[in-house]
Amino acid sequence: MEAPVTVQAASEPGMPVEIGRIDKELGKLWEASDDTKTRASLINLVVYSERESSLAANTAVISAIAGKHACRAILIVANPAAKESGAKAWISAHCHLQGKGRQICSEQITFRLDGDNAAALPNIVFSHLDSDLPLCMWWQEEFPEPLDENLWAWVDRLIYDSSVWKRPKHQFLLMRHLSTSDAKGTVLCDLNWTRLHAWRFGLAALFDHAEAFPRLGCVDSLRVACAPGQRTAALLLIGWFADRLGWSPADSPEVLSTASGGRVVYKIEEKEGPHVSLFSVRCADAHFELELKEGADFFETTIHAPGIPDSHQLLPAPNAKLEETLLAELSRSGRHPLYTRALDIVLHIIA
Amino acid sequence: MFIDQQPTNPLREGLASRAMPDPCTLVIFGATGDLTHRKLVPALYNLAADGVLPPAISVVGFARRDKTDDVFRMELEEAARKFSRQGINDGLWESFASNIHYHRSPFDSLEGYESLAKRLDELDAARGTRGNRLFYLAAAPDQFEVILENLRKSRLNEARPGSWARAIVEKPFGTDLPSACRLNDLVEKAFAESQTYRIDHYLGKETAQNIMVLRFANALFEAMWNSRYIDHVQITASEPLGVEGRAGYYDKSGALRDMVQNHLLQLLCLTAMEPPAGLDADSVRDEKVKVLRSLRPLAGADVFKHVVRAQYGAGAINGKRVAAYRDELNVDPSSVTETYVALEVNVDNWRWAGVPFFIRVGKRLAKGGTEIAVHFKSVPPVLFRATGESIDDNVLVIRIQPDEGISLRMSAKMPGSSLRIEPVKMDFHYGTSFGKATPEAYERLLLDAMSGDATLFARRDEVEEAWRFVDAIHAAWNTQKDDLALYEAGTWGPAEADELMKRHGGAWRRL
Repeated sequence: MEAPVTVQAASEPGMPVEIGRIDKELGKLWEASDDTKTRASLINLVVYSERESSLAANTAVISAIAGKHACRAILIVANPAAKESGAKAWISAHCHLQGKGRQICSEQITFRLDGDNAAALPNIVFSHLDSDLPLCMWWQEEFPEPLDENLWAWVDRLIYDSSVWKRPKHQFLLMRHLSTSDAKGTVLCDLNWTRLHAWRFGLAALFDHAEAFPRLGCVDSLRVACAPGQRTAALLLIGWFADRLGWSPADSPEVLSTASGGRVVYKIEEKEGPHVSLFSVRCADAHFELELKEGADFFETTIHAPGIPDSHQLLPAPNAKLEETLLAELSRSGRHPLYTRALDIVLHIIA
Repeated sequence: MFIDQQPTNPLREGLASRAMPDPCTLVIFGATGDLTHRKLVPALYNLAADGVLPPAISVVGFARRDKTDDVFRMELEEAARKFSRQGINDGLWESFASNIHYHRSPFDSLEGYESLAKRLDELDAARGTRGNRLFYLAAAPDQFEVILENLRKSRLNEARPGSWARAIVEKPFGTDLPSACRLNDLVEKAFAESQTYRIDHYLGKETAQNIMVLRFANALFEAMWNSRYIDHVQITASEPLGVEGRAGYYDKSGALRDMVQNHLLQLLCLTAMEPPAGLDADSVRDEKVKVLRSLRPLAGADVFKHVVRAQYGAGAINGKRVAAYRDELNVDPSSVTETYVALEVNVDNWRWAGVPFFIRVGKRLAKGGTEIAVHFKSVPPVLFRATGESIDDNVLVIRIQPDEGISLRMSAKMPGSSLRIEPVKMDFHYGTSFGKATPEAYERLLLDAMSGDATLFARRDEVEEAWRFVDAIHAAWNTQKDDLALYEAGTWGPAEADELMKRHGGAWRRL
């Protein structure tokens, strides 16, 4: 496949349409297009935000991902606090070249809901979904309480970013409730966790060496460095590491208990740089480190342990672009059991 | 002697939805060859770039030519830049290449294997690969025997406690049943069946893997996947290319041995097999081998009735004149090697009774493509008879390559006041729906071998059953030569193959 090229201006919300005529206008859009364009869709991707500035940014992200993950995108910008109520809609398409002049196109429907109309969210979503395709909801705000079961019960995959939450513990509790409360069990997709995927691979690789592996049984401290305000990322990584090794939260702060009753002290440092920049594991006689420098494409590893030659290895680092993180999440199917297990520990150790 | 289990790194558990590969050393015999440069090393690099290859993995190239590690790495880098599906990042290549080594030795020198063993021990100690070794036989088939023999003599085939030793064997797995049995016996002397991975790269293709998903994850299809609803199945592998420098091998082999014995019979197995008890290697392979055992043998006079062999004459491909097969470089001018073969095959079991599978493969055909077309039976000619409309049968097409995807042909009423019925096509293209680049078959297969998953590799009994079926056809061909048909290059094959289909009341699909 050729590199996707957006052939339509991505920053415009599109052609204004009456909300009741969206399907007809979309139909006309495709009828009027030439034979080189093919509409494709794998999912419904609903993006909800209450920030006016999000519209252009979200449209750019949809445009970037549509070439690799065709979808019907429904962008909603709501302003529930607006004094005057109103609802407006636009339609557009993102087309990407794909060999021999063929273009693959994804539809985007954009809504602006002001005042009381913001409460019509479930109806707006349900009446414009591409039938039979999964519903992925990307919620860019803090979750409201109580959660509207009319809406959330229909969501197949709920995408959010816990790194931007102001009250993470409260929001994590809501998420855990949501994933366990209904029979279907919405799949939780935390972009903060997705960004840590390469970290988990890298940390696992540190302990592949035959001499490194046994030292997982005698870890005495962890140190994680993250950017200011990114403690949830550090906590999720610690939660995952602890769960994998059978550790549990101890009574003292910043201490975990091992299965054999040992203590592991962990420390989180906030410093300028990538959202997570260091994960260091120490035992009495060994030291393992995975480090990511600002702007680097690769992790650097450090291993100092008896029986292991000192070595530095390059491992692929996470792509920091939002669209790449979203694509990585959309490319995965199934649940994220490691996340929910890590979350159980995080809920105990988060302030 | 063959211990294939070791404690797993708990941090790796659950990181991916597939089994994670163990850190190991991959030894490639025939490291200076085309396969290593075009496929294996680019595949390994892509896996490293995607972050799915444990960084502790080392690669040792074993070959006869004299060269240093650095020269070997430079040659591989050049090839990777040319053949990798993604661009080469200099930093990552440097890191990846630092774990590639070259071991010079003739294949028949036991000393070379003994020094290899020492070198592997050193790498194990340095890289912590726990003695896990994967030996890839990418050399010419006539070297397999001496390589396997020396691996055994040097005890490199033996895994230490808690470690594993595995061998990947490239096709061809013999040239007939006796040679395949002999090769399998040789492999078995060194490696148990559970440590042997016979590569058929067709099985590593996404669309080949999707056949099982299509059949067994969709109630719609599986319920109709039998002789009650299916009229016949066509499996096609066509290419416009000629022998392209492989004349020496191809003239001895021919289309039946080169393509049908392995790739096309594998596709037939995936299409015809019963649901396996599980997705583990042996459950899947048990079902595939049952299909091969159910093939109605073609022997003696039946061969001339149900099999057409042909050879291309001069013609035109893409507007350019091309030579006849016998005029190609390094081809015997009196060669009777078939460059095209069409077969009518029956699977004699409950599900497929009376449903022929038509297989065709050829070089210098009009267009390239590999596909499986399932032709459903006609509806009873009752309801629309009075309208005089002919109704085309439903056809489900699984395109293996290129433009991987699935299409379903069905009938629809044309808009208008009169009743006119036209065939329409529902089309699913992998490239359209899943825009991301599909991994190369070798990436998946190498990863599977490192992870100990043999599902996509051929088992001994599969290979031997396939040869048994093919050998009987060859035996009949050896009794006479005058059945070899000719077809013009750039066409869809000989008229005799069309006749084969006509007898069933059908026609070959035009790709």
